[in-house]
Amino acid sequence: MRRKPRIATLVLAGATLALTVALGCASRKQVTTATPEPTPPPPTETPAPPQETAPPPPPAEQPTMALEDAFFDFDDASLRQDAKSALEGDAKYLEKNSSANVVIEGHCDERGSVEYNLALGEKRARAAKDYLVSYGIPANRMTTISYGKERPFDPGHSEDAWSKNRRAHFVPK
Amino acid sequence: MASTISSSVRRGAAALLAGLLAAAPAAAPTAVAQTDVRIGVKASGTVKSPLLLATFRASGAAAGAATDARAVARRDFDLSGVFAVADVDPLDKKLEPDPSLQGTVRVEGTVEASAGGFRFTGEVFDLATAESVLRRAYPFTRETARITMHRFVDDVLEQLTGERGICETQVAFVRETGRIEEIWVMDYDGANPRQITHDRTIALSPAWAPWGTELAFTTYKRGNPDLYLFDLHRGASYPFSTRPGPNIAPSYSPDGKWIACALYRDGNSEIYLISRDAQTARRLTRNDRIDSSPSFSPTGREIVFSSDRSGSPQIYVMDADGVNQRLLTLEGKYNDSPRWSPKGDKIAYAARHDGWFDVVVMDSDGQNPVQITSNAGHNENPQWSADGRKIYFSSSRSGRRQIYVMNADGSDVVQLTQGDECFNPAAGPRPRGSVK
Repeated sequence: MRRKPRIATLVLAGATLALTVALGCASRKQVTTATPEPTPPPPTETPAPPQETAPPPPPAEQPTMALEDAFFDFDDASLRQDAKSALEGDAKYLEKNSSANVVIEGHCDERGSVEYNLALGEKRARAAKDYLVSYGIPANRMTTISYGKERPFDPGHSEDAWSKNRRAHFVPK
Repeated sequence: MASTISSSVRRGAAALLAGLLAAAPAAAPTAVAQTDVRIGVKASGTVKSPLLLATFRASGAAAGAATDARAVARRDFDLSGVFAVADVDPLDKKLEPDPSLQGTVRVEGTVEASAGGFRFTGEVFDLATAESVLRRAYPFTRETARITMHRFVDDVLEQLTGERGICETQVAFVRETGRIEEIWVMDYDGANPRQITHDRTIALSPAWAPWGTELAFTTYKRGNPDLYLFDLHRGASYPFSTRPGPNIAPSYSPDGKWIACALYRDGNSEIYLISRDAQTARRLTRNDRIDSSPSFSPTGREIVFSSDRSGSPQIYVMDADGVNQRLLTLEGKYNDSPRWSPKGDKIAYAARHDGWFDVVVMDSDGQNPVQITSNAGHNENPQWSADGRKIYFSSSRSGRRQIYVMNADGSDVVQLTQGDECFNPAAGPRPRGSVK
């Protein structure tokens, strides 16, 4: 099954956290350029994922938590408003889950050289990290890595695919 | 064109030459004579010198080896970009001078069985004077047939043009299988592709050491995009720069003592020079934008690189100590991946226009940019061959990215890889000892 765009899964112990995250997700603004998708339902509810890309319901004792990706314009590492909104939600999550450490991956679309995109991807990851630091998340809970254009989320060659690939993506550390 | 010519060839050299000139009127003797090095053979893409390649003579036991050897030489002469090759029968009488054949050469070959293998004797005649301009013998075996013919063709090119060919060189590149990207090396013509790294992660941006047995490259084998050096003799790699963040875009200085690269240790991508022994690092760029893709001039005194300090990637040049940084590209919104030509007079780069990438070659002062690919997918990552006659590049023209080679004026595009995505070509130096 393909991964869901914009959502990284963090598996944490403790079902009670699920509710707080679900609330956090619900209060987030939708990104404006990526393919709009409904926010996943709280994992403790019996889910009926509205789209085929949603992850399967996790076991109740290991609820899935979501951090939203931040998306970028072509050849740009500055944070759009939708990216800031996503990161604000992510900051709230990280604030409430002080034991959760993350790796922020910077990614690019396929256009341009391998080398330039490696640098650009790092710039995007650091832009996301800096924004979270400005929200009070300790820098030592987050590391960055750039994958340039080598790990696209969507292998397509259209703007639709590219817009999903220009991202800062969170994975548990 | 060659096949049409070869069918008419058996009638004799004069008829052949008439056919050649009709088919390629640019190859007129006057055009050929302009850059006369030895006998008027010009090294250029679209203007080619006629070369008559005779069927190799062979005794019974050597017949198969002769056929195979000639096929290698035929392809080498074709790929040289210098010759318009026609197939002829071996000489059966003494050559007479014919001044009207100025710039035309004839290559004869003989293969004999000898102790432990074979012996090839090649001879090149200037048809205008009927003089032998090169005669050389080469022992070889089945295993060394290819490299032996490569050496002969490079010898012919050196004798006729003053500039040795690249038949003995190698090309490194990245092949992506599934989500695994590894460094591979193949012969200059795409033959003998072989996997170099086996790290089962992401390996990128191979660059050749000037001595030809070492590659610098970026690998994620320890998680971070680090720079490693791969010793091709030992088959082992060693960490070179493992600073946090991307360690990317390696390029050796011509003397091999330094590797220019881009590091992210200052909060953004800056160009550094790191000594080959990894003991010294010098920062060359200072701004809060992306500086990347350095490439030395052949003298080692200057470095061309890309930077988005003006808002989008453009080509800049600086002295090798980082001073005197200035913009070179005057047109286009997005220019990247500059490579300095081995002669120093040109810089190739990839330009984005109307959403497509194409290879552009300009003078090293930024003047006279000429786009040499068009209407065929994205064409990126230009890399000069050691003789400057060829440019390797990656193209998505067939759907997937593959490695191609073309003459430096964009003519004679040949696909060298098939199958999995291949990109990041790096054309290697001539083997040490082959340069006379």
